[in-house]
Amino acid sequence: MNPLLTMVASTIIFGTLFKADIKTFAIYLFAGFIPWNCFNNILIQTSSSLLANEGLMKKIAFPKIIFPVAVSISVLIDSLFSFIALFFLMLMIQPTFSWALFFIPVAFLLIYIFSLGIALTLSVLTVYFRDLQYVITILLQIFFFFTPVVYKIDSLGNGVVAKLMGLNPLNFFIQLMRLPIVDHIFPSLSIIAVTVMLSFSSLLLGIYIFNKSEINIIYRL
Amino acid sequence: MNSSIKIINASVSFKCYENRNLSLKDFFSRNFSGNMLRKDRVFSALNDISLEIKPGERVGLIGRNGAGKSTLLKLVCGIYHPSSGKTAVQGSVASLIELGAGFHQEFTGRENLYLNGAILGMDEKQIRGIEDEVIKFSELESFIDTPIKYYSSGMYMRLAFSMATAVHPDILVLDEVFAAGDIGFVEKARARMYRMVDDANILLMVSHDMDLMKELSSRVIWIDCGKIMEDGNPSDVINRFKKFIE
Repeated sequence: MNPLLTMVASTIIFGTLFKADIKTFAIYLFAGFIPWNCFNNILIQTSSSLLANEGLMKKIAFPKIIFPVAVSISVLIDSLFSFIALFFLMLMIQPTFSWALFFIPVAFLLIYIFSLGIALTLSVLTVYFRDLQYVITILLQIFFFFTPVVYKIDSLGNGVVAKLMGLNPLNFFIQLMRLPIVDHIFPSLSIIAVTVMLSFSSLLLGIYIFNKSEINIIYRL
Repeated sequence: MNSSIKIINASVSFKCYENRNLSLKDFFSRNFSGNMLRKDRVFSALNDISLEIKPGERVGLIGRNGAGKSTLLKLVCGIYHPSSGKTAVQGSVASLIELGAGFHQEFTGRENLYLNGAILGMDEKQIRGIEDEVIKFSELESFIDTPIKYYSSGMYMRLAFSMATAVHPDILVLDEVFAAGDIGFVEKARARMYRMVDDANILLMVSHDMDLMKELSSRVIWIDCGKIMEDGNPSDVINRFKKFIE
């Protein structure tokens, strides 16, 4: 329900603001909100997963990576469901089918891997700095406006701002969803290559940091 | 059965965090104001301990409060890793360090039974095998599908105890022998406890009850200030420990 309401409200407000065609704009927003919400929720919910289970870890020994992975998977499933709900809405607005839609699961997977890597690092840091969980929420709110979810990146022109925004890694992941849903085409190989590289380096870094601090976390919980 | 515990020159040290819970706020405000964070004191709970426990041994740990008994148990369970030295544990370990660890308040008794079983390393089939027996033993037949947040503390303890003692590990680690409930249940619990101890290949327990210690263990280790003071025959070690206390 929540993504649906956000969608409707944003469509009306930003659609009017940008004087865009409501129908196409709704789909554009939809394709941006899905990856953003997935990323946002994984970071927020997973980062406190170790703290939430501190009692358990002090009493029973088992691989601690279970907690962030379990939480992030539940967020992923949640995102898939909201995708399905919004997908039916989208079909009502614009009943077109394209083979490119089969790319969506891959896009989800890449976004998930990218987010999990960051979330693993954050979950460790949150053990040491407990107020980090609030900072993450605030930073994500700011980051939302620097990510082309509700606006188009070319509407920023060619200035410094647009160049800086081009560096935003989340851009590429949103493209992964937007190209098949809005433009009905498969993302180009270069975009796929960049996102694969980003997600796996994020995951490897996250696992490295997690493994390195796993045995020390228990003393700080 | 080839379970064994080997601890070689292991030390465990804790940092005493004198800055309470460090927050980013403190971290930045202190660094900018030039007021550096206090250095954390290091406290070593276990100091260069070497220990070998062979199959079939029943080992009791005694010592004053804060001597490092529980830390040693947690080291064996794998909750702590030694800051130096090595530990090698062979065989499945079940730790009854705290009852009801990992119970979820919103879940029903039965759901918690499955959750707890999974945490203890059982698969669904094994849990289904012990389910009826655990419920019967805990005398909770009519409340098993009630969320445990509505349980009385006695009911909670009964469920936790019945579940914890339903596993039969190679290595059993006990921290203080526990039992809760009415007299009938305590009797029953004691018998079940002893059965579990009998089934285990290695027993490692901490208790302040010296009589129980003499009864259950074949070897007693006295720990003080993170070091092994005495290791040997139960009655000898206990007598020397008692003299030391006085």
